[in-house]
Amino acid sequence: MIFSELYSAYYNAVAEILSLVLQGETDEKTLQQVVVRHAFSESILTVLPALKSEKWQLLKSDRTTPIQNIPSMPLTTLQKRWLKAVSLDPRIRLFDLRFGGLEDITPLFTPDDYVIYDQYADGDPYCDEGYITRFRMILAAIRQRQTLRIEMVNRKGNRIAMHILPLKLEYSEKDDKFRLIGTGCRYGETVNLARIISCQRYSGSPFVPAQACPARRTAVTLKVLDERNALERCLLHFAHFEKQAERTDDGHYLVHIRYDADDETEMIIRVLGFGPLIEVIKPERFRKQIIGRLKRQKSCELF
Amino acid sequence: MSSYNERIKNFEKVRAYLRDFYVYGFKSRVEYTRKSARSYDNERRRMESWLGEYMRFVRTRDGKNMFISIDSRVSSHNPFYKAWKAKSFTDKDITLHFILLDILHAPDIVLSLPEILRRIDDYLFGFCKPMLFDESTVRKKLKEYIDEGIIVGEKEGKSMVYRRADDTAVPDNTDALHFYSEIAPCGVIGSFLLDKREKQEDHFVFKHHYITAAMDSEILGILFDAMQRKCEITAMNLSRQVLKPSAVRLVPLRVFISVQNGRQHLLAYQPAAKQIKSFRIDYLSDVKTGAVYPHFDELRAKLNHSMQFMWGVNCKENEKHLEHVSFTVRVDAGEEHMIRRLQREKRIGKIEKIDNNHYRFLADVYDTNELIPWIRTFICRITQLHFSNRTVENRFKTDLAAMYRMYGIDGGDAV
Repeated sequence: MIFSELYSAYYNAVAEILSLVLQGETDEKTLQQVVVRHAFSESILTVLPALKSEKWQLLKSDRTTPIQNIPSMPLTTLQKRWLKAVSLDPRIRLFDLRFGGLEDITPLFTPDDYVIYDQYADGDPYCDEGYITRFRMILAAIRQRQTLRIEMVNRKGNRIAMHILPLKLEYSEKDDKFRLIGTGCRYGETVNLARIISCQRYSGSPFVPAQACPARRTAVTLKVLDERNALERCLLHFAHFEKQAERTDDGHYLVHIRYDADDETEMIIRVLGFGPLIEVIKPERFRKQIIGRLKRQKSCELF
Repeated sequence: MSSYNERIKNFEKVRAYLRDFYVYGFKSRVEYTRKSARSYDNERRRMESWLGEYMRFVRTRDGKNMFISIDSRVSSHNPFYKAWKAKSFTDKDITLHFILLDILHAPDIVLSLPEILRRIDDYLFGFCKPMLFDESTVRKKLKEYIDEGIIVGEKEGKSMVYRRADDTAVPDNTDALHFYSEIAPCGVIGSFLLDKREKQEDHFVFKHHYITAAMDSEILGILFDAMQRKCEITAMNLSRQVLKPSAVRLVPLRVFISVQNGRQHLLAYQPAAKQIKSFRIDYLSDVKTGAVYPHFDELRAKLNHSMQFMWGVNCKENEKHLEHVSFTVRVDAGEEHMIRRLQREKRIGKIEKIDNNHYRFLADVYDTNELIPWIRTFICRITQLHFSNRTVENRFKTDLAAMYRMYGIDGGDAV
């Protein structure tokens, strides 16, 4: 069962509190920080008071505990089954990982039990040894804040070399692709991993910037006509963005969405997918692009 | 009247609220009619406690609307997993948990129930009002932990003895755990595993990342388990037409996950309808595993066959009435990326080159309607359209004309 107290934030917080107490740490503030780290904003009102009042009989009034060993719990069958399921995924080879003790475990699911039916077909080559090596090198460089010298093929098919300080790997489930997000590179701060043909540690002088430039954010306001279940489809479709929905007096809905300006073309085609059930209200720039596409469509004389 | 508690007993109670606050977010307090106003206040307070940094509100004429707004590209861990870590427990539950696992702190410690009971008393000695644990409570807890796989119970002569299960190391590589906890089904379990490790810096972020499926993790887990065991299930299914849950008996065959619209469907054989149908997983509740279904493998093979005609999740299984879909797009010089786009997005369809500037998409499908949103994304370059389902083709054109009118483009009254 997934919803179990065994995985609860409270059990985790209490386990760490008891560990600290066993190591002689009984400072109230330190113990409170444990609660803040593991649990929720109001848990501070529950966890330590319950321990101190002996409601949970794990901590005595003299701040000693009858527990004798650092608390630990073996993996549950559910956790093992999930790990086994994950071990069957082809992308697992990207990580240098050993799974021990799962030989007799039935996976929670296998690749046959689910399908991602609308993922793009040109995903990264996860079984390619060169790709795997480069992926691991980039991930190690992110951990160690190590600058890399990368050779890649750009969109125009030209081979280019660059130095970049990698900060994160971004994965898109829709594209099934990884992108390296870095800083200090004159060609931009995002590199598709599949375009990289060679990658090595750069031993020259390190880059000063350690933060990626924040993405340029912009917003669009959509008017949704609630027919053919469009409202639910629209709100779910754009659910992964920061957004706000409101009902208007005429029974329509306005949805304000914030997105990265670099993804504007993608946003336009996503909005077009809803046909006449969504109208772009603002900004005018976005609206004009939709109108431009519709005019070009009209010139195709489909009917 | 029960007092407020941050923890909850039944996840189903908050599942719908979380979805409403996150997906919709425009409802005011008075519109949450499924329970009392007090219940709404409690759920809202819980969500603020779990997800405070993501809670927003606006004042409208109807009152204050609370909603959850999360940019999943910025938040590298699914915030909804927090709700799965708020299960309620009793004072005795938590006390017994730590004492039992401390008594059985290594797999080579093997004890009978009377021995465990004696040791529990030793642990509680020194508290002002020591808790009392009777034999039945401890036996029940041990049984529960055996079912969870953390304690092993073995027969020794006539009585049972208990020991801690052999430990399996949590992978050192928290990068892998972090990655899969976000992208694998039932990823919340990966989050539980991450909780067992020291917090480390995150190295992954996610784009186009739908996090609503987290709310359906328990349901998904039961469905997967039923598929592994080739069992049928019973569930309550909320039909959009009836807006009231009804009981269904199904043989779950495969979960269909969308990474473009945030929905998850179960494709299942429904014996009562004698056909494979799709069911929204977020509309299912109270799922229970039943008996082994003897024809599971045949049904899954049937679904495998049908998938060649499925653009999305509609599986009509009627090959005599397949619908033909074709459309042509114009690709000008310098727009080679459009050809790549067609190739990567075509799914079960085929792409034909007509001439240097025109490419045609062709497919035979159960349901043309499912392709419409995708075909619309090519608006500005569609030069020809032919659907054997004339009703859908006419509606496509009517919709296009409506868009012309909506944006003030003249002459939009064709068809």
